[in-house]
Amino acid sequence: MKRRNFLKLAGMGSLSFAASACTSETDKTIFSLVQAPADMVTGSPTWYASTCRECPAGCGIIAKNREGRVIKVEGNPLHPINRGKLCIRGQAVVQGIYNPDRIKSPLLKKNGQKKNSQWQPISFSQARSLIQEKTIQAVQNGSDKVRMITELVGDSQMTLFTRCLEQFKSKDPIAFEPLAYETLKTANREAFGIDGLPSYRMDKADCLVSLGADFLETWLSPVEYAWQFKAMHAVKTEKKGIFFHISPYQSLTGANADRWIACDPGKEAAVVMGLIKAALEQGRGSGLPQSLVQSLRDASEGYTAQATARMAGINPKDFETLKSHVLKAKTPLILGTGAGGGAFQADLAANMLNLVLDPDLALFDFDHRHRVERSARRSEVLDFFKSLSADAAKLLFIHNANPVYALPHDSGVKETLTDDRLFVVSFSNFMDDTTALADLIFPVSLSLESWDEYSGKNGIISTLQPAMGRLTEAPHIGDLMLDVAFKDDQPVSDYKAWVMTRLHSRGIVKEKNGWLKALQAGGVFSAVSQAVTRPRLLESVAGLFKTVADTVEADPAKPIFAAVPSIRFFDGRGANRPWLCEIPDPLTKVAWQTPVLGHPETLKAAGTGHGEGVEIKTRYGRVETIAYETRQVKTGVLVMGMGQGHRHFGRYAENVGINPLTLLSTKTDDHTGAPVFSIIVTDFTGTGDTIPLAHTDGSRIQHGRKIALSVPLDQVIKNDDEKTGHGESLTMEGFPFTLPLPEGYDPKRDFYPPHGHENYRWAMVVDLDKCIGCAACAAACYVENNIGIVGKDRIIEGREMAWLQVERYHDPENPEKITFFPMMCQHCDNAPCEPVCPVYAPHHSKEGINNQIYNRCIGTRFCSQNCPYKVRRFNWFEWEWPEPLNLQLNPDVTVRSKGVMEKCSFCVQRIKVAHGVAKDEKRDIKDGEVIPACVQTCPTGALTFGNLMDVNSQVRMLTQNRRAYQAMGYINTKPAVIYLKKVVQEFS
Amino acid sequence: MTPSITEKNNSHKRVKDTQLIFWVGLIVVSVIGFLFYFYIPPATDIGAAQPIAFSHRVHAGIKDIQCQFCHSYVDRSIHPGIPPVEKCLYCHKYIIANHPEIQKEHMYFNTGTPTPWKKVFYLPEHVFFNHQRHIKKEIACGECHGPIETMDRLKGESFKMGFCITCHKAKKANLDCWLACHN
Repeated sequence: MKRRNFLKLAGMGSLSFAASACTSETDKTIFSLVQAPADMVTGSPTWYASTCRECPAGCGIIAKNREGRVIKVEGNPLHPINRGKLCIRGQAVVQGIYNPDRIKSPLLKKNGQKKNSQWQPISFSQARSLIQEKTIQAVQNGSDKVRMITELVGDSQMTLFTRCLEQFKSKDPIAFEPLAYETLKTANREAFGIDGLPSYRMDKADCLVSLGADFLETWLSPVEYAWQFKAMHAVKTEKKGIFFHISPYQSLTGANADRWIACDPGKEAAVVMGLIKAALEQGRGSGLPQSLVQSLRDASEGYTAQATARMAGINPKDFETLKSHVLKAKTPLILGTGAGGGAFQADLAANMLNLVLDPDLALFDFDHRHRVERSARRSEVLDFFKSLSADAAKLLFIHNANPVYALPHDSGVKETLTDDRLFVVSFSNFMDDTTALADLIFPVSLSLESWDEYSGKNGIISTLQPAMGRLTEAPHIGDLMLDVAFKDDQPVSDYKAWVMTRLHSRGIVKEKNGWLKALQAGGVFSAVSQAVTRPRLLESVAGLFKTVADTVEADPAKPIFAAVPSIRFFDGRGANRPWLCEIPDPLTKVAWQTPVLGHPETLKAAGTGHGEGVEIKTRYGRVETIAYETRQVKTGVLVMGMGQGHRHFGRYAENVGINPLTLLSTKTDDHTGAPVFSIIVTDFTGTGDTIPLAHTDGSRIQHGRKIALSVPLDQVIKNDDEKTGHGESLTMEGFPFTLPLPEGYDPKRDFYPPHGHENYRWAMVVDLDKCIGCAACAAACYVENNIGIVGKDRIIEGREMAWLQVERYHDPENPEKITFFPMMCQHCDNAPCEPVCPVYAPHHSKEGINNQIYNRCIGTRFCSQNCPYKVRRFNWFEWEWPEPLNLQLNPDVTVRSKGVMEKCSFCVQRIKVAHGVAKDEKRDIKDGEVIPACVQTCPTGALTFGNLMDVNSQVRMLTQNRRAYQAMGYINTKPAVIYLKKVVQEFS
Repeated sequence: MTPSITEKNNSHKRVKDTQLIFWVGLIVVSVIGFLFYFYIPPATDIGAAQPIAFSHRVHAGIKDIQCQFCHSYVDRSIHPGIPPVEKCLYCHKYIIANHPEIQKEHMYFNTGTPTPWKKVFYLPEHVFFNHQRHIKKEIACGECHGPIETMDRLKGESFKMGFCITCHKAKKANLDCWLACHN
């Protein structure tokens, strides 16, 4: 065939394809409602106040409902615990409801055989009758045949469970939380006669010492303590609060300390003893009974500075610094050990030290105790499982608890659950490790679909209400239990009535419309304080303390393995939320994987190194994982985060990461009943493989460039700090601070004229001194902006899609000094991405925002190459939102498709809403009216957003701060994200 | 070897090529013709058939009912809202209550089934049109939606960017990419 003919034919062929592609698809269906609900306007959100149940803290939330489905949750600004803020796990709550692996109908083991791993779906009414039948059979067999283990639930639910079990002639239910703070509780019992967990007034302290209490991650109530911590740690006119963190491993909380003191594992108590001795020598503790003072003096006698440092394995200089600051402080506060089962000695000693320093315990709040104190001790949980066979229990209810995952292998729970005589019902929505062993799975409604009540702290009652339509027919567990236990003789019509009646009878809700008012506000926050047990100093503590103090001894050094709670997965319950897997760990910046953290020397001794496969063996198990080399761990200690490595938990968690709990022993501490989250390593060797780490950080240090800056406190106070980038030259040091406004332009260094902005020039100020690196902002961004989940392999290729990442930079000289640095599109006035695009897809808007026009983008990726901040993300694939995960997508934001570049938009959809409101009211947008998702959720208020052209706006005022600078501003990009330097305190 | 043989071969080949072009051309034309008549048959260009034979001509034209009476969210939301079946029945309980099409409505109401209307006015997913803002600027519905009071079934429109831009330019409205339409 001739070339000419070929071309003719080819032309005809493509024409015919073009012709057939011309018809645009219009046959979409638009559904009309049958009846329009009063509180729903299509296209506008409705907000419902509720309570977050992702951990026992009990933060208030407001859930954003669009067209009947919840698309985002935010903190309830009226709620006293979290004050409108949420953590990373709270942001991810919607991925529980819309999880593609959620169980939609009851499942029964096929043929009723325990060993069978196949399930047979049955209807809710069949399952209900089956449970009813089983309870009747069990009750006929005698008392204590029906048992229940539940996650920590609200008072109404717990009372209902107790009443129902009474009906079955059985013992009370047990509340299981893997992180139950047993040592802290026991220390409070021995010292104050209260077997509970008071809350702390951390914001009132001026010197904070934590013995491993990771209050920024998981400890008691992380959102609440994050804002309290930053309140005490903010720069005041003359000083800033001081925070010491003493632990074998620098957690996120430790990374935020002014000084992290690495001590040997379990030896925190020695440090406190040394401090007690020093305080008593200074004459403190005069308000205490003489006998106690005497016994404290006796017990701490041996703890001279030298001895303390040696026993705890810390630097004597560090101890001197710590001592001088604690003794100097007006309102010091010593926090106990972490949720990871610290030493009882340390917690008791911390209580004693708090008493010596302040006999009134002014910073302890015994009125508002944390509800997690009501969860059972680990020893009680183990006894519970043992008693099942002893009592020959017939029926076990498991409600949102995952003991098979959370308890070590030798606990025997697996064997108990697979016993043929026991019929196990799991009320879980997910096939987790425990549920997989159940005989019947009966999914019940989740917290955002339910009426309920919960109080994270005494006296603060939070309400829950359904914030969305139902995806499954699952009833509330309360309704089910009422039905099963009382049949036709129910005390109330349904569980909602049960909650309301109880709130009325407890006097929390008074007037007729009190319930509605409570629902609207999200709860009753100043509930009548019931008879609160006052702390009283127990005399017995003196004797006990002496014996306890004697047990603090230096151990011969051995490699110790410690499992620590994770900010992302908590105790493991968050592992099936893809957002939490995808957002990297704040310190290691590793996503999807569970590396083991070890000091370079520890790894070297084992003949292995960073990124290499290692095998860890203990007496109880072995795991293979990847080594992560870091100096943020004491030599001889291996640290691994909890939460991953599930055998069953849906597609995002199954066989993802490692479960460190399998290495531990079930044995609990005799005195406290606490689990021990650390263990001696019997063998630690490299496997010789190199495994790629799915990390998102390019480097741990800044290579001398001016990215994340800090300034010493004394310079800030004296106002003689060098204002970075406020010079006149064109060097990195001397480049002037140039606001993204016309005044930031100078013909000497600018070729193009300034942009003309109309009324608004949006900008953000990031106070690095307030940023704790918790990544709540990153999660909020994922939720708000429909950002794709790429998975482990793509992250290894460097193709993560996060619009906002919290970078962490180590000081090259002192790697334990860490600066967290939220990095998102800087919306430069002189944006390098804009001129290189051949199709003008990045476009400078009249309000200063750097727009990315998705439908214009042809995917050359020039913009990303030219972006010095590397914040542009390219869609290499169509990302998947397996149904019904797609129901979470924000309808106000385009879902980007393959071949398109994307990046932070400053939540332009929220700016547009504010424009609409302002236009309706015929005014300009007010300062603080536009709140992007990241700014909204930041627990410490590190982010501020607003209009730079308004000279009175908050952002504009903050740019006047001497700490203000622009990240790599010296390349003349004129970024609209202004950073405030971190204020560091140097101790000699 | 004579040149005539080569020539013959050449002419034979030319015939073959012409035939090939003819047949391929015929196939292409028939495919285009088929697709044209299949997707956009000229005779039935009166808009999609709807699950209930609702006539905009009767309601908006003859009875002169305000658009906002049914599309009641139009001045307070980005979407105008499709009336719930309940609303239709407010009137149609009394007006032609036994008409077979009204009976269909009763069926939807009684069984609690959302009515699957065919969407006729169509915007791509990456365009965010805000009805409220246009109504507040007193843009008449007909300026975009056409004389729907004259149509029984709506022919609809797949709006293209030029349509929006022309008007935005003429009215000096927002031309910013994100702030106006895309984000």
